[in-house]
Amino acid sequence: MHHLRMLILRKLSAAIDGLNDMIGVTIRWLTLIMVLIGATGAVLRYYSRGLGLSMNLTPFVELQWYAFSVIFLLGAAYGLNKDVHVRVDVMFSRYSDKTRAMIDLVGTALFLAPFCILMLYVSFPAVSSSWSVREMSPDPGGLPRYHIKALILVSFGLLLMQAVSHIIKQVDIMRGTGSPPDEMAHVPMPEVDGVAGDTVTGRGDA
Amino acid sequence: MMNLWGPAMFFVTLGLIFTGYPVAFVLGGSALLFALAGHAFNHFDLFLLFAMPERTFGTMSNYTLLAVPFFIFMGTVLEKSKLAEQLLETIGALFGRFRGGLAVGVVIVGALLAAATGVVGASVTAMGLISLPVMLRNGYNKELSLGVIAASGTLGQIIPPSIVLIVLGDQMGVSVGDLFRAALVPGLVLTGLYAAYVFVLAFVDKDVAPALPMELRTTGVALLKQVILSLLPPLALIVVVLGSIFAGVATPTEAGALGAVGAMVLAAMNRQLTFRTLKAAMEETSRLTIMVVFLLIGSTAFALVFRGFDGDIWIETVLTGIPGGALGYLIVVNLMVFILGFFIDFFEIAFIIVPLIVPPAIILGVDLTALGILLAVNLQTSFLTPPFGFSLFYLRGVTPRDIETTSIYKGVIPFIAIQMVVLAVLGWIALPTV
Repeated sequence: MHHLRMLILRKLSAAIDGLNDMIGVTIRWLTLIMVLIGATGAVLRYYSRGLGLSMNLTPFVELQWYAFSVIFLLGAAYGLNKDVHVRVDVMFSRYSDKTRAMIDLVGTALFLAPFCILMLYVSFPAVSSSWSVREMSPDPGGLPRYHIKALILVSFGLLLMQAVSHIIKQVDIMRGTGSPPDEMAHVPMPEVDGVAGDTVTGRGDA
Repeated sequence: MMNLWGPAMFFVTLGLIFTGYPVAFVLGGSALLFALAGHAFNHFDLFLLFAMPERTFGTMSNYTLLAVPFFIFMGTVLEKSKLAEQLLETIGALFGRFRGGLAVGVVIVGALLAAATGVVGASVTAMGLISLPVMLRNGYNKELSLGVIAASGTLGQIIPPSIVLIVLGDQMGVSVGDLFRAALVPGLVLTGLYAAYVFVLAFVDKDVAPALPMELRTTGVALLKQVILSLLPPLALIVVVLGSIFAGVATPTEAGALGAVGAMVLAAMNRQLTFRTLKAAMEETSRLTIMVVFLLIGSTAFALVFRGFDGDIWIETVLTGIPGGALGYLIVVNLMVFILGFFIDFFEIAFIIVPLIVPPAIILGVDLTALGILLAVNLQTSFLTPPFGFSLFYLRGVTPRDIETTSIYKGVIPFIAIQMVVLAVLGWIALPTV
């Protein structure tokens, strides 16, 4: 019975991880799109001023930060799964896998999950009022606002789901039945060709 | 009566960060727990928390912060396109014939990479892998070789377009363009002092950094071709990005977007713009964006509750009450940032600490742009200081095991001394004129 419950939970955790990983690899394309929109907008602004044209570049500016917002709002849960969120690991890097799992378990239950619930609770009224009036950008020629605001709820909803998955995995590690997370996530060894995400997040013992 | 909620929240949260749980969520969760506790004791109005969605939206629509992913994208593309490697070889060929030349080459490449990418780890790694073996093989002193690489790698923190300066500008309410302009001279002075130190050392002791033997020097047309092919493109990119900002033609955010496109063009010219390069740049950029912005959202929750407890007033009272006024303030704040810089990343300092130290600075008449530069050089020094400095970890990661960590520590000491001198001068500049 107990064994079956753990099996179901593991499946749930894997499903959540799968969903957020899929979102994560999709949204990274937005960085390239954002760069291209930004560069186009910059060039247009320069030339429209030079030629004395009056072009409305509000959509360019707004599309840029919409893309920016989608990246971090939808990517936060992916980031939790990939251990992207920066840690102060002066001591953390010296702990055993089980101790790390315990810190992550307690931290997720005590800090992350309640914070997600808080954000969902306080954001709901603001998002629903924005949605009910089909809120638009206050700037002329601007884009609709209500979808992007609603993503705040989606963001913390996904993050809460990932928190559940994270807790399941930590329990598995502490019981010795799961595999510890990828070692490289905590070790600051820079790889020549590796993803330089470690430039900022990685920190460890000398 | 003194309100102890603010100080308690500050120190407890700082302690919790050291558990190693992701900082963003420790900040958010601890803010919620303190808000609930404060509410239970009638010290906090929970209604304040309804400001969070509006604050979050403020972060989403923050135009200045957009520059951060742009410059990260630019830096990663350049890093993957082997720009650092080519620059090192070329500059080494140009300067290797002089005593100390290889080490001066490292300093110059460090400064160029800083201006081209604004990312730290990459340059230390590249220089550690390429220049260190060359210098050691040519009989360079071990400590000097290690020290010059670790130190030059940190120049990206201060030389524009540094991401540190963008985030500082945003958090301090100072124009990023102004900070870039103000950072240029201190950045170049540091570069010059590093190079001068190496030259003087090589001049005094001819065994410490010998010139390359005749047969290893590239000369004539071959050298010229190498210089044109590998030095000019990144130089052009630097001129376009920084020039457009300084001339007021482009905002730093626009320059970042253009720089990212420019980096892709350079990579394409180098035949390095592969799907793999692009994927790595996109992944890296989105990961850093997620990390930085969520840290900011967590810090916002912390700041909201902290202010609800009048914690900002507590900090202000403490920092404006230091004996010596502005001088005392600068000393205390810089010591604090220097020590925190050992343990916590720049972004945490910028989001948690910097907003708290700005109001007292205004009261004391400290110029905010000068303070921003001072903090940036301070953090740069902190990243260089044993045993916790960032740069040292990166170098350690790429040096052979038979080189002791203490050699790296010994090597950076002269450079830390240079940093201290520059810091003192910058501190003196930041002091209000009476």
